[in-house]
Amino acid sequence: MIASPPPPALLMTPVERRRWLLSLWRYAVPVIMCAGLVILMLAPLPLPVPAMPNLALMGVLAWVMLQPALMPPVLAFVVGALADLLFGLPLGVNATLFAVAAGSIRLLDLLIVDRSHLVDWFGVSLLILACTLATGPLLALAGRPLPVLPMLWQVLTSMIAWPLLLRACVAMQRRLARSAPRWSHG
Amino acid sequence: MLDWSQSPRRPTAVRRQQNLALVSAVITGGVVMAGLILLLLARVNPQTGAGVRAAAGDVVAPIWDVVRAPIDGSARVVGHIGDYFGAVSRADALAAELDKANARLRTARAQARELAQLKQLMAVREPSRQVVATARIAAATSGGVVRTAMLAAGLAQGVTRDLPVIGADGLIGRTIEAGSQSARVLLLTDAQSRVPVVVERTGQAGLAAGEGLPSLLLIDRIGPEVPLLAGDRIVTSGDGGVFPPGVLVGVVIDPAAAKPVIRLAANPLGASYVTVERAWLPIPDDAPQGPVFDAPVPVEARRRGAPPPRLRDAAPVPGSAAVLP
Repeated sequence: MIASPPPPALLMTPVERRRWLLSLWRYAVPVIMCAGLVILMLAPLPLPVPAMPNLALMGVLAWVMLQPALMPPVLAFVVGALADLLFGLPLGVNATLFAVAAGSIRLLDLLIVDRSHLVDWFGVSLLILACTLATGPLLALAGRPLPVLPMLWQVLTSMIAWPLLLRACVAMQRRLARSAPRWSHG
Repeated sequence: MLDWSQSPRRPTAVRRQQNLALVSAVITGGVVMAGLILLLLARVNPQTGAGVRAAAGDVVAPIWDVVRAPIDGSARVVGHIGDYFGAVSRADALAAELDKANARLRTARAQARELAQLKQLMAVREPSRQVVATARIAAATSGGVVRTAMLAAGLAQGVTRDLPVIGADGLIGRTIEAGSQSARVLLLTDAQSRVPVVVERTGQAGLAAGEGLPSLLLIDRIGPEVPLLAGDRIVTSGDGGVFPPGVLVGVVIDPAAAKPVIRLAANPLGASYVTVERAWLPIPDDAPQGPVFDAPVPVEARRRGAPPPRLRDAAPVPGSAAVLP
């Protein structure tokens, strides 16, 4: 939990209200982290092949798994739209894919309750591959057809990077939980 | 027997959860629909969101411009260390190369002088290359979908759309969007990039096409079919009016393929600083110059001395009536 539920607003003391307002930023941490990952993907790395992992999509998926309430498909759409703007893609390509991916993970949560880490990894890998393959038709819909083959490098590096990114998100969540304000109810 | 008794009412918490799930599903569907509508809008008008994209670039480009400075410094230090270890063998190779280059230079100087005289005799008019701005490549997409980079210079520095971007080793790409402090460059390796080129040795023209990979393909070759050789230099032809002629694009590494493969001369991601030049021969602006306000003059009126029809901004015909305001 990134922040424990506060007391009802009408029952808050001024000090509690101030603490509550100052702790609201915690709810934006998943989105801010995903936006940071989008910017990180713009690092001018001298890679011989287009192999930068799709950190933004993986960030969205990780936070949907960890904190579904803080990364609904609407926010995934916003992160995707930011990626479209910064990558120079037609507006809507990543936005649609991220929202669909976030919805798919929620569906997966309903279908398979107790999943192992390996099942998660396999599911996420399939989802990233599906998103990559769907990028071509979506770009064609926007009037900019592109070859899919070079994108498979990105799928491969994304699959490899998933455990590291998930670990980073879990560490962030634990850090936030440790420093969350405690409320003395009743 | 059918049981017609009323089904037990669902507990409030369960109902609330189910309603929330339904609302969430509807919102998700709406969001996906919004995304598809945005894509259709982009198909109808590719410039959809160009302003927002430019503004986003203005925010991110300066950040990476600052962040990559220490990274560049560290890379330079590592490079210096590597240079130190290979210094002697490289000096020997360079000395041999310098001897050959000096011999070629003497010939080239004589030829250049002769060419200049001939051009003067023929009164050849050539546009000149002009540098608009020199800027750092602040950020770049290394993912698989598009290959673009962001420059830390924009409209404020005179950088606009469709300007050639050239690095120290060769061509990098062309600008496709410009914000006030940043510009987006379509790199040569992008699958949508097509650059008119010529093979320097044979003069055969063609297009250097990106395919999303580090190399380019030489396609649509026209002219005499002289076999290519590995190491043939590919330079821009100047066709199309954006890229100046003679800028090195790359060298042929696989001449036997149906579409010969070109290795890029300049790595855009290691280029750091690049120059943005004015378009070589800007495409004439064929937009309408303004509405015609003067109605066609009837033949009878002309016979009586009325002036011919003209544009509002045209200079007034001497002795005719004043131009409309």
